[in-house]
Amino acid sequence: MNALTSVVSSLVAGVKGINRKYSHPNIKMTPFVKICLLTLRLYLFILVGLMVYKFVVTVVS
Amino acid sequence: MDTATGLTAKPSMGLLPSMFYQFRKTTKALKMFAVIAGPGIIVMVADNDAGGITTYTATGARYGNHLLWFLILLGPVAYYVQEMTVRLGAVTKRGHAEAIFQAFGAFWGWFSLLDLVLTDWLTMITEFIGMTAAMSIFGVPAWLTVIGCWLLMGSMTMTGRYWTWEKIALVFCVGNLIYIPAAFMVRPDVHDILWNSLVPNLPPGGFTNDLFFLLMANIGTTIAPWMLFFQQSSVVDKGLQEKDIRFGKWDTAIGSFLTVLVAMFLIIVCAKLLPGQSIGSAAEAATQIMPTNRWVGTLIAIGLFDAGFLGAICISLASSWAFGEVFGWAHSLNTKIKEAPWFYAYYFFDLVLAGTVVLIPKAPLVLITLFVQVIATTLLPAALVFLILLLNDKKTMGKYVNTPWQNFANISIVLVIVVLSTLYGISALFPALLG
Repeated sequence: MNALTSVVSSLVAGVKGINRKYSHPNIKMTPFVKICLLTLRLYLFILVGLMVYKFVVTVVS
Repeated sequence: MDTATGLTAKPSMGLLPSMFYQFRKTTKALKMFAVIAGPGIIVMVADNDAGGITTYTATGARYGNHLLWFLILLGPVAYYVQEMTVRLGAVTKRGHAEAIFQAFGAFWGWFSLLDLVLTDWLTMITEFIGMTAAMSIFGVPAWLTVIGCWLLMGSMTMTGRYWTWEKIALVFCVGNLIYIPAAFMVRPDVHDILWNSLVPNLPPGGFTNDLFFLLMANIGTTIAPWMLFFQQSSVVDKGLQEKDIRFGKWDTAIGSFLTVLVAMFLIIVCAKLLPGQSIGSAAEAATQIMPTNRWVGTLIAIGLFDAGFLGAICISLASSWAFGEVFGWAHSLNTKIKEAPWFYAYYFFDLVLAGTVVLIPKAPLVLITLFVQVIATTLLPAALVFLILLLNDKKTMGKYVNTPWQNFANISIVLVIVVLSTLYGISALFPALLG
């Protein structure tokens, strides 16, 4: 249990370190570009969700 | 002086010395190309992975040679997308994951890594599905194939030298060409092939859900998110410099030509031997062909295994490189296990996790294979948008920034994929709409 906790905490620390290291992007994006990118991502994830839905429906049928 | 070959021409040369100079220049350039070539050919041929082979088999059997023109169009598409990673890798000396984190920050970096992990893991499963299905034709049980592949892939990667890994991978690339003799053996209708290659046309029945699904799957198997990460990291691991970009582009162009060639020949084989049949997988096609055409069936099965193996070693490496770059682990094939334990641990974790799924009894493996191609296509535009933005950063790329034509080509690719994904999404929600 202790070993697991230690692995998880070191992973969390690693992720925090990465977030700090890359907190200042080199390429500045305008809010409009950021919103477009986020919208595209979410839209694509919704499409993937639809495909998973179709996959489940096909498997069940 | 020629910057690539280092040879200098004297202005007052006679005919013979001039010819000798040209000969030496060409020879030296070819030798240079032989040294630099590898990442592009490997990534493109590995792109014809087990899922790809299944997709081409299903396409050829279901629609004959009608979609050959579409495959030809996908060649330049793959080239335009992949050559951007050559320039980016050679200029920044960073892998794709690291480049995204560096350029866009952690938030978008994690998004991209999530995409990669998801699509890589799913695609890896399809590689093991293909390998086990192919070997089952020869009577080898799935568990034995999976364990054998783990051992083979492990020993290949642990050589501690990128060059050794690359040479072995190139041998498997040659194996992927097995469908070319297979196509000659079935004596296809050359007129039909030429017509369908040169004249865009729709198969009888027009646009249907099935056709959309296969078009999407064909795009998904020609360009996939893992390929961007793999080729860029591979270029960096191999140590390509800015002066090598020209050869890197040729490497990618030859690779994209080969990938389309192999796909076309496999479609031609299936169009001839399995016309109008609804084939679920390449293994099924091989099994059906074997009673009437034993050698062609055997070649399809061997090619399927080869494709799955090549795909698996490349995809697992793409993920390991990406994680190594982001987490700051040592992440080169030029390192030993002791020097890069996490890099190799993730590589094996990926292999073991994907291989284990295949051993789950009664899993719908064929359906998984085709759906994975479609999901990979759907997630591709997100990765491509970042790539295009990176290649337009003048500060980083300098003279290697995207030209207007390259931007036009790549943005068009993104738009077409988004439109096709949307149409497929609509067809999933309203199946009666497209018939």
